[in-house]
Amino acid sequence: MDEILDGLTQIDCDILVIGGGTAGPMAALKAKRKNPEANVVLLDKANVKRSGAISMGMDGLNNSVIPGYATPEQYTKEITIANDGICDQAAVYRYAQECYGIIQELDEFGIRFQKDQNGEYDVKKVHHIGTYVLPMPNGDTVKKALYRQLRKARINIINRFMATRLLTGEGRVAGAICVNTRTAEFLVVRAKAVIMGLGAAGRLGLPTSGYLYGTYENASNSGEGYAMAYHAGAGLANLECYQINPLIKDYNGPACAYVAGPMGGYTANAKGERFIECDYWSGQMMQEFFDELQGGKGPVYLKLNHLAEETIAEIERVLHIVERPTRGHFHEGRGTDYRKQMIEMHISEIGFCSGHSASGVFVDEHARTTIPGLYAAGDMANVPHNYMLGAFTNGAFAGLDAADFINDVDYASFDEGEVEAERTRVLAPTKREDGIPPNQIEYKTRRLVNDYLQPPKVTAKMELAQQRFEEVREDMETGMYARDAHELMRALEASTILDCAEMAASASMFRTESRWGLYHNRVEYERDDDNWFCHTILTKGADGQPVHKKQDVKPYVVEIAEDEKDAYYKQRVDPSSVAAE
Amino acid sequence: MPLAQTATTVPVVVDDDLCIADKGCTVCVDVCPLDVLRIAVKDDGTKTAYMKYDECWYCMPCEADCPTDAVTVNLPYLLK
Amino acid sequence: MIPTVTELFEDFDDISDLAEGLDDPSPGARIMAVIELADSADPAAIPHLARAITDVDASVRKQAAQALTDFDGPDTAAALVSVLKDPEPSVIEAAAISLTELKDPTSGNAILPHLDDEDEVKLAACLAGIKELRRPEALGPAINALQHRSTTVRVQAVGVIGWLQDEAALPALREAAKDADKLVRRTALAALGFSNSEHAEATLVNGLVDSEWMVRESAAETLAKTGGASCVEALRIALDDEFWQVRLKAVRSLGRLGATDAALQIAPMMDIPVPNLRKECAAVLGELAVPETAQFLEKYADDADPDVRKNVRWALEKLAA
Repeated sequence: MDEILDGLTQIDCDILVIGGGTAGPMAALKAKRKNPEANVVLLDKANVKRSGAISMGMDGLNNSVIPGYATPEQYTKEITIANDGICDQAAVYRYAQECYGIIQELDEFGIRFQKDQNGEYDVKKVHHIGTYVLPMPNGDTVKKALYRQLRKARINIINRFMATRLLTGEGRVAGAICVNTRTAEFLVVRAKAVIMGLGAAGRLGLPTSGYLYGTYENASNSGEGYAMAYHAGAGLANLECYQINPLIKDYNGPACAYVAGPMGGYTANAKGERFIECDYWSGQMMQEFFDELQGGKGPVYLKLNHLAEETIAEIERVLHIVERPTRGHFHEGRGTDYRKQMIEMHISEIGFCSGHSASGVFVDEHARTTIPGLYAAGDMANVPHNYMLGAFTNGAFAGLDAADFINDVDYASFDEGEVEAERTRVLAPTKREDGIPPNQIEYKTRRLVNDYLQPPKVTAKMELAQQRFEEVREDMETGMYARDAHELMRALEASTILDCAEMAASASMFRTESRWGLYHNRVEYERDDDNWFCHTILTKGADGQPVHKKQDVKPYVVEIAEDEKDAYYKQRVDPSSVAAE
Repeated sequence: MPLAQTATTVPVVVDDDLCIADKGCTVCVDVCPLDVLRIAVKDDGTKTAYMKYDECWYCMPCEADCPTDAVTVNLPYLLK
Repeated sequence: MIPTVTELFEDFDDISDLAEGLDDPSPGARIMAVIELADSADPAAIPHLARAITDVDASVRKQAAQALTDFDGPDTAAALVSVLKDPEPSVIEAAAISLTELKDPTSGNAILPHLDDEDEVKLAACLAGIKELRRPEALGPAINALQHRSTTVRVQAVGVIGWLQDEAALPALREAAKDADKLVRRTALAALGFSNSEHAEATLVNGLVDSEWMVRESAAETLAKTGGASCVEALRIALDDEFWQVRLKAVRSLGRLGATDAALQIAPMMDIPVPNLRKECAAVLGELAVPETAQFLEKYADDADPDVRKNVRWALEKLAA
């Protein structure tokens, strides 16, 4: 294994789904069910059984909109406010209307949602103002249940192939070029429609541990979706709205306000005092977190040691079994116990991920990108705060729309020369006698991201970043060296990460205001609603460099009252009221 | 530009006595999202799984899916 | 000429071909055969997995028990039940988990005959498996199991009864609410949520003064589903419970019951510095819509917690309407 082989195969399919994590499998299933005659291929860089952000499972739904307990209108309003108003509501609203159907479908797949002792959905945390959390007691079986459905539907699955570039022609998508991660053999897939569900750009910033793979996101999510969309000419929205999360320091897993919050856990400063009232992840919350650290009141902690033993045991049960089960190992190794001490938290490295922010490949309420026949869903598409259920639901929208799209089109013709050019680009690191290994290219890129792009954002620093990225690119294109197929995969990822880093810098320079709290805190600029109440759209220019434009936010479907708009601004605890539980 | 041979500890440990790679099992290699595990031939000619690349997200499918509980995922030293 | 790529798609092999791997002399190969049979997601694999679960090698049996999670029906259930006394605990554990994943009610046919088994591990697993299948025949054996010495068995038995929602089981559940074990009491009180009888309500009111706070919490929460006007007084007393979790559930239940009399007792609780509790109080004050509580809410219209602000604003709108 890993020896570089010469190989090239071309296959045809109606719908190519790239990414077998969360959105991809649902897209493939929906397309196949709607159009059983369609040849649907699901391709993954890893193995569909355990790929993507929910590799080990998920502890619950953060954004379920269940009739009788929350309304699509209320949900749309909340998400709009949490995104500082910059949100095309149609996609959010459609999600909110249809996600309950997806919950029921997941339930039929065998993914169970919490029920009470009479077998009814457990809505105890839910009241009619709208709460959206629905725990999943067997959330560790999500991937298994999905895989079972894929096999039953006889979806064609291709594992261990990494898509590197999309093919386009006749003004629409034509397919994708892929390379095997264990043999470096090539696969060209001609497709009438392509659905991308490639996850977040999780390896953009460098974790403070310095370990390249110690990221918040699944480290295999290295941003290929963003890079491929960019090189194909699709629009990417609001990339300056970074993902930054409050995490357990070093472990880099979520502190999980959703689990611990309703049970009385909270974020505290070094004195054990609460300083933010709401642990919902927002840019403003992260700004308060940052300010507390800068103000010398840190470190910041997750505080649970005031809670009853039964409550802590329950929190441990959820946090240590599902989603990131090594978390128990981590605390054990450190000798830290929720009962005895507070757990140190910190600010994560930056990334792109719409699961918790608003950036990504621009899509509408059908998951269509700006390129006909090309769809995107999940963490890489710009439907804000969509989490796991959003990936499932928007993936479903993509699959349903693509199933219709292929009825009216044949394969788009593309320039055969592109395949040869891509083979040359991809294989270049394997043709050298020696050179710079991919991990050093990646480390340097990501270290520069931390040094110059991590907010607060400063223009002069971002300009320096751009210069330095260019130098790294030169080194990468002329000197990167891969000894086997596995290293070649890392080399391709390094290239993707550099693309994303350049997009992050460029998008941040374009929006000359501050917005979304810490996510886009530009120290030289105040918030400017008059000029910047808009999306920013980044595309690849004729010279190969990013170009930017403003795009109007579509008229709201659900109006937001003036006094509701600031719902996420004021979060700091009034010092006169001392929190105690 | 020669490459150095810098040593690094790996987080995923396989108990050779429990591992049944020699009997044809490749479960841990198959499920790893980062594809960092491989099968090695030991001195005595039998096979065992091992971590070839130190590129671990400590996510645990290898440990959870191993049919003989031969795999342990430790935290990478840099962050443990 | 560039050679073509040899391996591309995951296979959809013939089930009997895959099953041949179960005869391989090496356990590793048999494990891989079990995994491939499971991955087929084809019900034709069930008899082969039922054979694999009797393998001489424990790791093959465990893998087969896990693999059966992907299937359903009486044959799957029978195979799982057959290993609940396996000498290897990990096989039993895997089979017990797979049993809880069954959804097809006819799967219960294979479980029902074992609901009086002597072995407590097996009995608990069978009760847990039959629960979600909601087979009425399980009611009698579950009621008997409430007398079992094992706490785990008693908790599972309460679960079966709760899911069946049969008023005939009420006396048994009320007994279980007096169980020596707090987890059994807590589960039994929650299971009473389906009943509209005054006896269930009386049992829940008793639960509000249990010595364990999680039992009191369960009682306060469940009263929202089943309680009537007569439990309001007890819930008002629970508003002073030493645990905020109990107070929170009492507030919520008083809101659901429309207990406007309690509004002025709840309103001052807005001052308690526990955000979760204040959120709930604000929401309930909105539901109760008693005009005199407006002054308490107005104090917190600009609260630092966005959820409290949101609920306070909503509540004030309700009061104004």
